[in-house]
Amino acid sequence: MKNFSIATRQNQNVSILDISGELDAHTASQLENALKSLIDNENYSIVVNCSGLDYIASAGLGVFMAYIEDVRSLGGDIKLTDMNDRVYNVFDLLGFPTLYDILDSEQEALHSFND
Amino acid sequence: METDLRSLDNEERQSRFALRTLLETSKMLVESQDPDFVLNNLLLITMGKLLVTRGIILIQNGSENSYRVSKIKGQNSLGEEDLITLPVDESILKKSVIQGTDHPELVEELGLSEEAILFNLRTTNHHLGFLCLGAKGNKQPLAHSELEFIESLAIISSVAIANSRMFQELRLINRKLDRKVHDLHTLLELSKDFNLMVDQDEIARTFKFAMLGQMLIRTFFFALDIDDERSLISSSGLKEKPSQEELKKLYELDDVFYCNEEHDCPFLDKNNIRLVIALRFQNEKIGVVGVGAPANKEEYGSEEVNFLQSLGNLALLAIQKTMLLEERIENKRMEEELELARTIQEGLFPSPVPEISGFDLKATNISSRQVGGDYFDVVETPDGGYILAIADVTGKGVPASLLMANLQSMLHALAPIDITLSAATDSINNIIHHNTPADKFITFFWGKISNCGTYFEYVNAGHNNPLLFREGEKEPVELDKGGVILGAMESIMPYESDTIELKKNDVLVLYTDGVTESMNPDKNEEYGEERLETCIKNNLTKSSQEIMDAVIEDIKDYSNDTQYDDITMLVIKVS
Repeated sequence: MKNFSIATRQNQNVSILDISGELDAHTASQLENALKSLIDNENYSIVVNCSGLDYIASAGLGVFMAYIEDVRSLGGDIKLTDMNDRVYNVFDLLGFPTLYDILDSEQEALHSFND
Repeated sequence: METDLRSLDNEERQSRFALRTLLETSKMLVESQDPDFVLNNLLLITMGKLLVTRGIILIQNGSENSYRVSKIKGQNSLGEEDLITLPVDESILKKSVIQGTDHPELVEELGLSEEAILFNLRTTNHHLGFLCLGAKGNKQPLAHSELEFIESLAIISSVAIANSRMFQELRLINRKLDRKVHDLHTLLELSKDFNLMVDQDEIARTFKFAMLGQMLIRTFFFALDIDDERSLISSSGLKEKPSQEELKKLYELDDVFYCNEEHDCPFLDKNNIRLVIALRFQNEKIGVVGVGAPANKEEYGSEEVNFLQSLGNLALLAIQKTMLLEERIENKRMEEELELARTIQEGLFPSPVPEISGFDLKATNISSRQVGGDYFDVVETPDGGYILAIADVTGKGVPASLLMANLQSMLHALAPIDITLSAATDSINNIIHHNTPADKFITFFWGKISNCGTYFEYVNAGHNNPLLFREGEKEPVELDKGGVILGAMESIMPYESDTIELKKNDVLVLYTDGVTESMNPDKNEEYGEERLETCIKNNLTKSSQEIMDAVIEDIKDYSNDTQYDDITMLVIKVS
């Protein structure tokens, strides 16, 4: 199996997904399922902590694209935090920073949700 | 002397100040990669140094005489970012300092008085624009040292601007290159990923997510044509699925279709699809991919189209591969099933075919590739007689051979029991009728050679009439007494039986329809009973084996050795 893991935490009204390892075509569905189940349970304020993420492929980015509008239309958002430079570079190359809140730290994201 | 000294001292101080300013400014400007910063400083420093209240920086804007107002200080009707056309010619561009008094029409355009001076901003190869300074506050002309100072600053600034422009251009190229590398990397990685996938849905889903991420889109669909059935196999962000009619229209669009062109597929507008691309396999339009607007820009360019086509073709190939794989697995399964059917069938034939004293008996079954439902048997009865049977079950493969196995076990169970052939046939028919689906039948013929070897009693349940050839008789006797085929209906009328007397050199031939229905190479004519009879007649004096061989040979000749159905024959000759 590919080296990828995902865990969910709750901080007050914000759900935090810790993703680590390699997010690619084979592991994208795990992220999809995690996002789906958050949305199904009406958790729309979502922080994705990428501190353990070593690699991201287009299919992984696509999962974020597929759900961002749903979440925003329900009054929430998906914010990404703690990326290493290599991962950020991929997000940046594809133009994600114009669409997504990409923040340095989880704390920042939590603050911005609570403002 | 004192004054001279002091003034010298003053001049020296001024020139030192100028040098230091130049050095510091040049350092600051050259290190900066922001042209805006460079220009702003150039203007402020020169205005401050010369005590000038009006200053403009003009940057050439594409065509020769067009300039953009980049920076402007002091009162002026022009504003930043204004575009103006200036009467600038080669003679002006050659100079590094242009006096307003020499070119009043020029400075007038700029809203400056004739005391104004323009400094050419240029590098060795390129003219970038002008630094325009209005009259000094004291209306004095610029001193030589001042001119030199500004000139130097203009040169340094021009180099700095050219450098920063180049740097920005490089950064842009680098980024484009990075993006290209990433695109290629994605294609390469996905081609590897697709290779590992055997599930069509997984491929379609991965394709979808890769497209969403790579193109920064939310709306996507992927339609596939499998055996003329068109359907969406993955999609995202659609408000409405396409109808069959709309799907058909999607397949009629150009291979690369921008949806702002005219079309009559409402599905595209309803879902805000911008671009539709066809995917072909062996020149046939198999897939259609549509994408909504990219979130970070409005239009799709040829690079995006290329990427979409490349990735789409990869996905399509991977899906084709999974279908071929499924087909191969299915074929393999069918092969195995046929092998099983063949094994069952072979187990049912008597091996070896028993010898009956006073008779020359030979039998054969040539199984076709598909394994039909032919069956024959020779069973000795307790009273010393022999039962000969031949049958053909509808259908092919395992179902046919299982039904055949049923028939065989009934026949073997009934053979030792002392009941008439007719009554036994009734029982077999009822059992088959009750235990098999309505579309399963058996054509069946059986007969019993009496223990003395003189009589042959038979029942024909819808089977091809066996032929009895007799010495001295021109035409064979057809053994046609009996009733309907087995399994069609319950036995209401008892099956008839008939008994014939066997004479020396009689030749009795039992066969299945695989013999008479063998086809010629054009597949428009069957071998038929007439050819069979003629062939047997020509070989009547020979042994059973030779007669059989002659018929098989004749069929092979006729059909050019192509066999569609099982061929089964029993030849029995009275010695």
